[in-house]
Amino acid sequence: MAQTPLMLDKNPEQSTGGRLRKLLLSQEVILFIIMVVAIGLLATRSDRFLTQDNLLTQGRLMAEIALVALPMTFIIITGGIDLSVGAIFGLCAIMLGWTWENICLSPIAIKSRGFECAVNMPLEVSIVLAILIGILAGLVNGWFIVKIKVPPLIMTLATLALYRGMAEGISQSRSVRGYPDWFYQLGQGDLFGIPTQIWLIIVFSIISAIWLSRTTFGRSLYAIGNNETGARFSGIAVGRQKMIIYAFSGMMAGIAAWIFVSRVSTTRSDMGSGLELDVIAAVVLGGTSIFGGVGSIVGTLIGVVTIQMLKNGLSLAGVTGDATIIVVGLVLIAAVLINGFIQRRSGAR
Amino acid sequence: MSELLELAGVTKSFPGVKALQEAQFSLRAGEVHALLGENGAGKSTMIKIVSGVYRPDAGRILVNGQAVQFNNPHEAKSHGVATIYQELSLYPELTVAENIFLGHCPRTRFGLIDWAETHRRAREILESLEIHDMDVTRKVGSMTVGNRQRVEIAKALSQNAKILIMDEPTASLSEADVQRLFEIVRLLRERGVGIIYISHRMEEVFELADRVTVLRDGQYVGTRHVSDVNEAELIQMMVGRTIDQLFPKLDAEIGQPVLEVRDLVRPPLTRGVSFTLRAGEIVGMAGLVGSGRSEVAQVIFGINPPVRGEILIDGKPVHIRNPGEAMKKGIAYVPEDRGSQGLVRAMNVRQNMSLAVLRALARANFIDDKREFSLAREMIERLNIKAYSTEQIVNKLSGGNQQKIVIGKWLAAKPRVLIMDEPTRGIDVGAKAEIHRLMSTLAQQGMAILMISSELPEVLGMSDRVLVMREGRIAAEFPRAQATQEVIASAMMSQTGAAS
Amino acid sequence: MTSVTVNQSNNGSTKRSAGLVRKIVSSQEFILFVSLIALILTVGSINGNYLRPNNLISILQGNAFAAVAALGMCLVIISGNIDISVGSVVGVLAVISGNVVIAGVPFWIAWLVPIVLGALVGALIGFLVAYLRIPSIVVTLGLASIIKGGLILVTSGREISGMPAEFMISQFRPLGIPMPIYFMIVLTIIMAIIMRYTAFGRSIYAVGGNADAARLSGINDRRVVLQVFIINGIFVGIAALLFATQLQIIRATVPANFELLVITAAVVGGVSILGGVGTVVGATLAAILLNAINSSLVFVGISPYWMRAFQGILILVTVLADLLRRRRQGIGL
Repeated sequence: MAQTPLMLDKNPEQSTGGRLRKLLLSQEVILFIIMVVAIGLLATRSDRFLTQDNLLTQGRLMAEIALVALPMTFIIITGGIDLSVGAIFGLCAIMLGWTWENICLSPIAIKSRGFECAVNMPLEVSIVLAILIGILAGLVNGWFIVKIKVPPLIMTLATLALYRGMAEGISQSRSVRGYPDWFYQLGQGDLFGIPTQIWLIIVFSIISAIWLSRTTFGRSLYAIGNNETGARFSGIAVGRQKMIIYAFSGMMAGIAAWIFVSRVSTTRSDMGSGLELDVIAAVVLGGTSIFGGVGSIVGTLIGVVTIQMLKNGLSLAGVTGDATIIVVGLVLIAAVLINGFIQRRSGAR
Repeated sequence: MSELLELAGVTKSFPGVKALQEAQFSLRAGEVHALLGENGAGKSTMIKIVSGVYRPDAGRILVNGQAVQFNNPHEAKSHGVATIYQELSLYPELTVAENIFLGHCPRTRFGLIDWAETHRRAREILESLEIHDMDVTRKVGSMTVGNRQRVEIAKALSQNAKILIMDEPTASLSEADVQRLFEIVRLLRERGVGIIYISHRMEEVFELADRVTVLRDGQYVGTRHVSDVNEAELIQMMVGRTIDQLFPKLDAEIGQPVLEVRDLVRPPLTRGVSFTLRAGEIVGMAGLVGSGRSEVAQVIFGINPPVRGEILIDGKPVHIRNPGEAMKKGIAYVPEDRGSQGLVRAMNVRQNMSLAVLRALARANFIDDKREFSLAREMIERLNIKAYSTEQIVNKLSGGNQQKIVIGKWLAAKPRVLIMDEPTRGIDVGAKAEIHRLMSTLAQQGMAILMISSELPEVLGMSDRVLVMREGRIAAEFPRAQATQEVIASAMMSQTGAAS
Repeated sequence: MTSVTVNQSNNGSTKRSAGLVRKIVSSQEFILFVSLIALILTVGSINGNYLRPNNLISILQGNAFAAVAALGMCLVIISGNIDISVGSVVGVLAVISGNVVIAGVPFWIAWLVPIVLGALVGALIGFLVAYLRIPSIVVTLGLASIIKGGLILVTSGREISGMPAEFMISQFRPLGIPMPIYFMIVLTIIMAIIMRYTAFGRSIYAVGGNADAARLSGINDRRVVLQVFIINGIFVGIAALLFATQLQIIRATVPANFELLVITAAVVGGVSILGGVGTVVGATLAAILLNAINSSLVFVGISPYWMRAFQGILILVTVLADLLRRRRQGIGL
């Protein structure tokens, strides 16, 4: 055959040496090295940085971003994006507090001044309600994206405004405080000496990683991201998969909001503003291609940790708190740039 | 006679591949020079060098006897080289006139675009091509492929092209559009334009070209006057050996009806289609582009479910609302467009091969790596796919091998009905014969195959029965014995009123 | 297939003029204009104060600087890119120009500073996007972070005040109309002409519609993208100047959700986020409409906290209308 001579050419990907090289050049490994180097450098600047206490606290603080970054990885792998996660986060936080404070179960009504309420809304129900609202918000995104074929960027831009607006409108920008003590256990408590958030991150990360890399569902997400038409022509239920991941995104935003409210002891309608940017930055930093088709949960987690450690290490080293985000921006651009060069070098495009 | 274009000793390598080695080529004014070769023979590389997309590693290019070096497409253009690619490079959102003059619109004194002049000159160019029925203010996006191609040609002429490269210009044209294209090509030849014409269709070469150059594996094989060669000689030059039998149709036992469709309707292009497909039978479906052949296939496969009508499998009516359900009923569809519909090109051979059967390969939705690997290996062997490993990215394979992967993907689903839409379009002669042989074997094993094809020799060679579609309906049906090129072509093209 | 060609030749001049009317009526600009008028009249009938000249002027003025930035955003989106750093860049350029004029530099140089710096920032983004091939959403996401952090680092959040009166260009009122409105109108007209009548304008549509095809037809797509970001930078610079001079103080923060407002204006104005389609006039009208909705809430007695929810619904409705219209025309996505 004509192409035989070409095909028998040296095949770098097959040999173990080639595979090792490919692994070493993957975005995850590069990023991991950047992370280790950065942590090493920062450790020399402050002796409070690499202490157990500090690291555990950082784990607590990065929970919201980490949890929302998991579904965002799924979404970006399919070539979509969800800009509304921060707004869903805010809406869920508000709904948690607002339903608890304002809804009366017997008689069923919304409380007003001087209203006598026999049975108040249990906080547990409010929590479930808030997460359900998160799922619903995600489903609305997914439905319009799938059925009406609104581009994800636009759809979630619109719902970013809509959900945030609902949070502001419903709460009238008033905050809710004074939750019972048990409620703070999740956001401020420990389990076996480790902050509860870290356990949550571990559990959800493992579930997401297996879901993405080992199941038919995960494989089909990559197929959709690389070639949606091809996936559909192969019998993959593209629409259903997308609905599921946007709903998953809404659910995780709801759970993250619950944890956040529990940690900071109050709800406000501007909670989670800009969360989407932090999350997208972490996911992209973790090697997930913004064009879809490529990415992993491990990468995303490294991305989240890198950003958190950089921010924390720099502020311990004496850099003003907000200014640490400069480094985040630089690292983001640099990581993508380096990855692009390497990909082009190795000819994988 | 002076040469308009001359290539000598042109060589180009890509990492791991010598795409073109010491190739030569010449083109005279007022000549149609066909370029033939299997896929991967180096035709595309050669035209990309002539049009300035690639720079050759070695060799000389002469235009009008002057040595030139093109660093980018723009420089080639300024030397009068224009290219009409397979994927037309027009902007659907711009009008005909804007497309023709993109980048060099006539300007007013103030340097702004002079729209009146632009429209007038666009009309002038189109009229010089005997095209009188085109509105230059229309957006290209809403036009037919044939019309878009005419716009492409007009665009080339607006830049005073002396050398026109046409890369498989008829690949997606209807028969009527092909005839108009030929008229335009002849018109241009009379005007002294030199035309490099690339095509897989042998009959076009004989109808249109003056000379023909054959490439094989990146090497120059030879140049002949068309009047001095016949088809068999050219094929031998292309593949380096004779192909004794192009359409190895074997007799198969024809059994019970497997798939029946009754009065299937899905506007706009499926308007009441009925036919039956039996086990062991290969049914060819002919028709012009736009007659609704692929659309029917996609209705049956659930991509665009029918609004009316019935689909029966083994005599029982079934409801198919999406491809997943079609697969469960034993239907597989090898789509027309390999790149966008058939494959996920960034994924490797193994992942593509398992894509349609992931659930079957999985245990409780977890993918079983071992079974996936062995499926891929089995298919590579069975279909003789030239890939160095199951982990090779399919985008790097040749068209024929990519097509085999699409077929393998669907064979893995063990279908009873296989719908193949243009199964051998754009792939080389060798792979084509292999796919035809495979189809024969599958039919012998009792599979029912519906083959949609625009190549009449293929339809005639492979089919037990031929269906002809026209304007969304089955216009005619011929058993193998009665099917000839003439009756099929006339059924394809007869006017609505004249049809029975 | 054949019937298409036949229709075409029948398309006489009478049909063409009827088609033109239909084209105008169904255009995004016309719909926005009618909605704007309808909104103003409706709210005006509920509360007459809404129709006072001063209020109408403030409706025009309120989002004028956002409209200017939206013009640049239109180009960016039409070229198939996006810029989510505009808010941060506007914030930092405003602070710099304020500091420059306070340092005693002549006011007209202080006017030019944000514009020149904006162009430089745009050139940087354009270089990273076009020549180093980093997706624009990543570049501008990173840049937004860098600039926001840098702003806080340098200013420590202090406000700037005491700028000389001749610097405050937004507060000039030639013929009684605030200067930002002139900027908005004149720049919109200029951009509309560039997009319609220059080869550069056409090539932006080409690059956004089909970059590969653009390259094959001899357009230097990288240079076009670079130029688009530079022009966007200039518009962002002008927006920053208008923003800096509208109040007596310049706050060292990024205007909240500014990029969202700007992208919304561009998209509601009819620019397809998929690139290749859109006009700049629509974006300006959309910016005005967004502000008109915002201010009308107060006049009809709705809590302004609901404003963003309305904004979201507005984006959804326009996008849906646009999608349906395209589907009817058969252009598809």
